[in-house]
Amino acid sequence: MPVARFDGVAFSYPLTEPRRDRPFTLSDVSFELTKGEVFGVLGPNSAGKTTLIRLLSRVVSPTRGTIEVEGVSLAAMTRAELARRVAVVPQDMPQGLPFTVRELVLMGRYPHAPRRFFETSDDLAVAREAMAATGVLDLADARVGILSGGERQRVALARALAQEPRLLVLDEPTAHLDLRYQVECVALLRRVNRERGTTIVLVSHDLNLAGALCDRLLLLAAGRMARLGPPEAVLEETLLTTVYGCPVAVERNALTGRPVVQIAWRR
Amino acid sequence: MMTCVRLCGRSTCAVLLVAALLVLTAAPAGALTVVDMLGREVKLAGPPRRIVSLVPSATELIYALGGEDRLVGRTDFCDYPPAAKDKPSVGGMVSPSLETIATLKPDLVIATTSGNRLETFTRLEQLGIAVYAVHAQRIAEMLDVTRRLAELTGRQAALGPLISGLESRLFAVANAVRPYPRPRVLYVLWPEPLLVPASRALLTELIGLAGGDSITANERGDYPRFSIEAAVARAPEVILLASHSGSGAPPIAKDKWERLVSLPAVKNKRVHAIDGNLAHRYGPRVVDGVETLARAIHPEAFR
Amino acid sequence: MTRRLVGALATLAAILLAVAVVAVFLGSARLSPLTVLRTLGGGAGADSTENIVILGLRLPRIAAAVLAGGALAVAGVGFQALTRNPLAEPSVLGVSAGASFGVVVGQLVGSSGALFDTVRVAAFGFGGALVAGAAVYLIASVHGTFPIQTLLLAGVIVGIFFGAAVTVLISLVDIDRLGGVVHWLLGNIAPLPARSLLVFAALAAAGFAAIVSQARELNVLALGEEAARQLGIDAERVKVQVFVAAALLTASVVAFAGPIGFVGLIVPHMLRLLLGPDNRLLVPTAMVGGGAFLLVADTIARNAVAPAELSVGIITSFFGAPFFVYLLRTRRGVL
Repeated sequence: MPVARFDGVAFSYPLTEPRRDRPFTLSDVSFELTKGEVFGVLGPNSAGKTTLIRLLSRVVSPTRGTIEVEGVSLAAMTRAELARRVAVVPQDMPQGLPFTVRELVLMGRYPHAPRRFFETSDDLAVAREAMAATGVLDLADARVGILSGGERQRVALARALAQEPRLLVLDEPTAHLDLRYQVECVALLRRVNRERGTTIVLVSHDLNLAGALCDRLLLLAAGRMARLGPPEAVLEETLLTTVYGCPVAVERNALTGRPVVQIAWRR
Repeated sequence: MMTCVRLCGRSTCAVLLVAALLVLTAAPAGALTVVDMLGREVKLAGPPRRIVSLVPSATELIYALGGEDRLVGRTDFCDYPPAAKDKPSVGGMVSPSLETIATLKPDLVIATTSGNRLETFTRLEQLGIAVYAVHAQRIAEMLDVTRRLAELTGRQAALGPLISGLESRLFAVANAVRPYPRPRVLYVLWPEPLLVPASRALLTELIGLAGGDSITANERGDYPRFSIEAAVARAPEVILLASHSGSGAPPIAKDKWERLVSLPAVKNKRVHAIDGNLAHRYGPRVVDGVETLARAIHPEAFR
Repeated sequence: MTRRLVGALATLAAILLAVAVVAVFLGSARLSPLTVLRTLGGGAGADSTENIVILGLRLPRIAAAVLAGGALAVAGVGFQALTRNPLAEPSVLGVSAGASFGVVVGQLVGSSGALFDTVRVAAFGFGGALVAGAAVYLIASVHGTFPIQTLLLAGVIVGIFFGAAVTVLISLVDIDRLGGVVHWLLGNIAPLPARSLLVFAALAAAGFAAIVSQARELNVLALGEEAARQLGIDAERVKVQVFVAAALLTASVVAFAGPIGFVGLIVPHMLRLLLGPDNRLLVPTAMVGGGAFLLVADTIARNAVAPAELSVGIITSFFGAPFFVYLLRTRRGVL
């Protein structure tokens, strides 16, 4: 059984939605996520990448089509049931959060017992393990608001891991990170994927990161699926040139054999 | 010697009064200056013919004096006598319509420091409309207001009968209640928070004239907030709850007081509602107020 | 965590008890401590003045102050968590103003000479708070969600509107009859009869329960509505429930004591300094801490100028307004 399945999904924001000048539509999106894979979602700005995350985490519901997680339609699940299966690591957290790292990571335990007032020692153990996995255990008592971008990103990941999800969705995980943290982040995701068997959906602008890390890629363009397949099939010169509207060159990484995308700068 | 001084004093008074009357009446075409109750000089082109009253009690007094033909405007709250409602209204006391006042072309506006705003005073004067301030916290001052209004409306003839009528009624009340002991009275202007009449309030004087001792007579101010606990500790023998009929009906909360069973007033069933309008207006009806208060405090004196 | 909450509650309860003991001995009737003790022990006659002052006036007033303070502080925590803004307070969202308007209407519409009808006035207060709350909701609502900034702005606008409506009503009323309304608008604690206290306590308990049951959800809501949904929380339902409950608490205080400002600001902030941002600790401790705070303020209001009295709302504003400025200058936008 696939971990998640999109079947003929279409979505449009309500016409009066203030954050968009024109109604944006996602249409005819169908794909399956296999257990244990690392799945990349790519596409230019406003191609529908973020909408895909919002659909998968039921922040919005599809206008047409169905989304299933582990064979159950999202519409038939409670939010907590979904949050026990799908965890989302957002691009960033609100500024100035007053909570400590431990308190924030413990929030990831909410969907496992929504009726409980305080977390149990078991919850605390899971949170501790998640903080250790992302290397923020030392920061457990620090206020989230004072952390650096890289530290915040790892705390957000620890919170998502504390949800013990089957499917981990990351929205631009490396956007705010410098090179070293990017490398660490990728290594961390690989380890999580390998050790826990967690399926990972990586939504990114970074074609090379996605090409290096992912088993399969989905390229979105203007709300439609432009191509779905292994990196070699998606990261292809003519396709990318058409979708992004600028000339690119694709080469092979000498070490990994993976495709590497370069912008063909005009001089 | 004493007699002489007194006589001299009296004649001086009489001379001054005559002089004042001459100033007011002898030169109808010429400008004149009068002094209002704040000591301000108010310049008039002549005896006022078109008066707007922003003070409900002044409106009442003008009618009582028979000077209403010179009254051209009133406030929404000038509802007594009922005939006053036939005059055009200029709005409320706090923010009357200056436009309406101006269109009435008054040569004098009567205003008060308690109820009208200073802004209204200054605006009217900027418009070139004379403002005469009246101000009364005691019956004596109310009688002074009456005398001044009589002069302003040219109704001095009605002044004597009006004042002597009021005085004789007050005298009658005083005679009626004199034989009886004066009970401790708690007058409740408003129950929650508890507002009571204090030393500067007209009500305190009226309660005294009606043969009662207000237990809050020595507090500072006019109508302060007061501790219900302290009121209970002073063991009032009569409790009077002001009701405010007319515009809206704020509470009188009789049941609240009747729960305080240890009070002499409650034990002896001396908790009475009383018409608050009578005693809260500084007009001729304050004498009605004294009579009503006296009947409430000393029912035995009026059987 | 449980131990921390119990410890904090026990400490605050001890403070509240100490304040209550002081409050019961102080009063303008100037009863000696011995008399107070004898009366509390049932040693005074049922109809005695001591009995009435202590049991009929002081104790009910202490109870009313504790209930009002607790309700305001809990409403403050609720509004602050909803808006993610430490400056949010029942009055900032216009709910106090709506309730005040309702109560003033309730006082004015009574037929002439009618007995003071607490129930009618309270019902009008609720009506006003709910209308104000609903107006804020409708103005701020965009497709079933209310973005936080819009909510705050709508609250301010609705507050201004109902404040103006109260002013209009007041200017329609004879100046002689105004004293009571004007004083009431300053906020006063009154010794409520047992039945009113019971109603007040029931409303406060209902509002408290509705908010404390969402305390954990409110913590998560600090991450943003989208993140809260992704963690399994029905963010809309939580917000509506906490909003209605906080409005209910505000309305009950306005109906039984008048609009008392700043309690919902000062108490949650002090508790936050001591206990941190966790709403599961803040909501229960705000109930007790708010009670102790307003009881202190009301004891000052009762005794500072005895036998005259101050409005407790003046005392809280006196401390609260500088505090508001301090928060504004030092913690802008940070919960």
